[in-house]
Amino acid sequence: MLGELLNPYQLQIICFILINIILGLSIYVTLSSGQLSLGSAGFMGIGAYTSALLTINFDVPIFIGVIAGALAAGILGLIVGIPSLRLQGVYLAIATLGFGEVIRVFFVNWESVTKGAIGISGIPNIGRELFATFRDAGFDPDMIGLKNNQFVYLLVLIILLIINILLIWFFIRQNKSRVGRAFAAIKMDEKAAEAMGINITYYKVLSFTQGAVLAGFAGGLFAHVMSYISPADFAYNRAIDILIFAIFGGSEVIWGAVFGAVFMTILPEALRFISEYRYMIYGIILIILMAYRPQGIIDINVLNWFKKFKKQKGGAVHDSGDQKHN
Amino acid sequence: MILEIKNITKNFGGISALTDVSFSINKGEIFGLIGPNGAGKTTMFNMITNMFAPTSGEIIFDGEQITGIKPYQITDKGICRTFQNIRLFPQMNVLENIMVGGHSRTHSGVLKSVLRTKSQRNEETKLRGIARDLMELVGLSNYDEVIAENLSYGQQRRLEIARAMASNPKLLLLDEPAAGMNETETESLFDLIKKVQARGVTVLIIEHDMPLVMKLCDRITVLNFGKKLAEGTPEEIQNNQTVIEAYLGSEEDDDIA
Repeated sequence: MLGELLNPYQLQIICFILINIILGLSIYVTLSSGQLSLGSAGFMGIGAYTSALLTINFDVPIFIGVIAGALAAGILGLIVGIPSLRLQGVYLAIATLGFGEVIRVFFVNWESVTKGAIGISGIPNIGRELFATFRDAGFDPDMIGLKNNQFVYLLVLIILLIINILLIWFFIRQNKSRVGRAFAAIKMDEKAAEAMGINITYYKVLSFTQGAVLAGFAGGLFAHVMSYISPADFAYNRAIDILIFAIFGGSEVIWGAVFGAVFMTILPEALRFISEYRYMIYGIILIILMAYRPQGIIDINVLNWFKKFKKQKGGAVHDSGDQKHN
Repeated sequence: MILEIKNITKNFGGISALTDVSFSINKGEIFGLIGPNGAGKTTMFNMITNMFAPTSGEIIFDGEQITGIKPYQITDKGICRTFQNIRLFPQMNVLENIMVGGHSRTHSGVLKSVLRTKSQRNEETKLRGIARDLMELVGLSNYDEVIAENLSYGQQRRLEIARAMASNPKLLLLDEPAAGMNETETESLFDLIKKVQARGVTVLIIEHDMPLVMKLCDRITVLNFGKKLAEGTPEEIQNNQTVIEAYLGSEEDDDIA
């Protein structure tokens, strides 16, 4: 039964959604302190290449490779973030976009290690590695009525889902704390924030680096889900895609970036039936959105409305329960 | 003596905003800084809070030279300010605004915040308590959830004072707190500043509302064209001939006109 429900194509799309959510979070975190960084694609590339090369050349376990990739991106984020502090708004965007291109060109030209524009193939796949472990333990997907490839994608999906939940939980808690308030204060009025005793430099570099770590982490996962990466995967159009997650979904609240990532990954797939016209629709949706809802789909008011709705519904359930009791 | 301004000079390019200004503020008093527009009052504030450094001279706070340290460190030392044109965090609610003001008296970093350790939770509860107390002080009780930009003008001014007070300052700098207020609002502002003083906070205030300044301040320094014109009690200032001339123009000026 389960076997009929799980379509490998759909499972793969969900995996892409989950990776894109992490990328959405990465731009959201940087934006939450008022910094517009378009370096996400570059940091993603660093994470992907670091992890891929480590696992292929040094037989490092995948999860260590992914963490190393995230750390490498974080260190680079720190190095780029500190001098970029002097740049505001669109200037920071341009500088970070330039950084991303430098990284891409670097991957293209360092052929002895990165195989240049051809890219790296045969990267260990998270799902397959886990599947091998399960099989060694004597588990056969047939036992739950699944084909091998369905089971592999399902494993990847579950792991990505857990990672997503943990990350969202992490950033919701951070938002509701002293650190999150400092980010928000800097975003709204840097001078006033500084006058309130907030170390602007520290918090800006912190949020920039967090964004870089997330993008690097997503890049590592991307490499081990796709099994193949090339510099073209981390070109500037990737940076724009990531930016659109935050712009479309909304960058005021964490759920905006999450929603943006989900919607913007599904949309091109859902519009596949009109083939090349789909990008036209994609563009039209963005233009309409910018005209009527520049803050993105999900903002604080939408969230409050949801909360109220949930409360009302909860109350109604409670009432009916009482009636039953009577 | 809580604050000593010693021979402060500030030049912007070729223009001299302040020339050799000195004054000192005693602990616990309300000290007024007045003068016509462009006299250099806000420049003085910006230098006390180290938004920029003086060209020459020293600022000594609580026996310690504070020129040259970072603006956020000033808050740690115990100086906090409000702004001439209100600079709240507009999309935050009242409670959050005040809690940001308490940033320097709390210490939880990312890890503690995400894990919600006991010390972090205690800190947040304590800070929320402080914020509620300050909301009561400034007359904004039960406004927790109201977004700052939706408050009335007078309420925003008072919220700015509460936010500054949340850093537990020894010296509070108020930059034209009564600007744009009507008479009733100004009166409640007077009461508020007196209450702040009663809490042991020294207040340095820039203000154009003369009746308020004269009623409120223990001592006043008058600046004019970047120079100190006079210093004394409100009575002395009111009867000082040079001050009257600076504000109303002298008879010689009238002759020239």
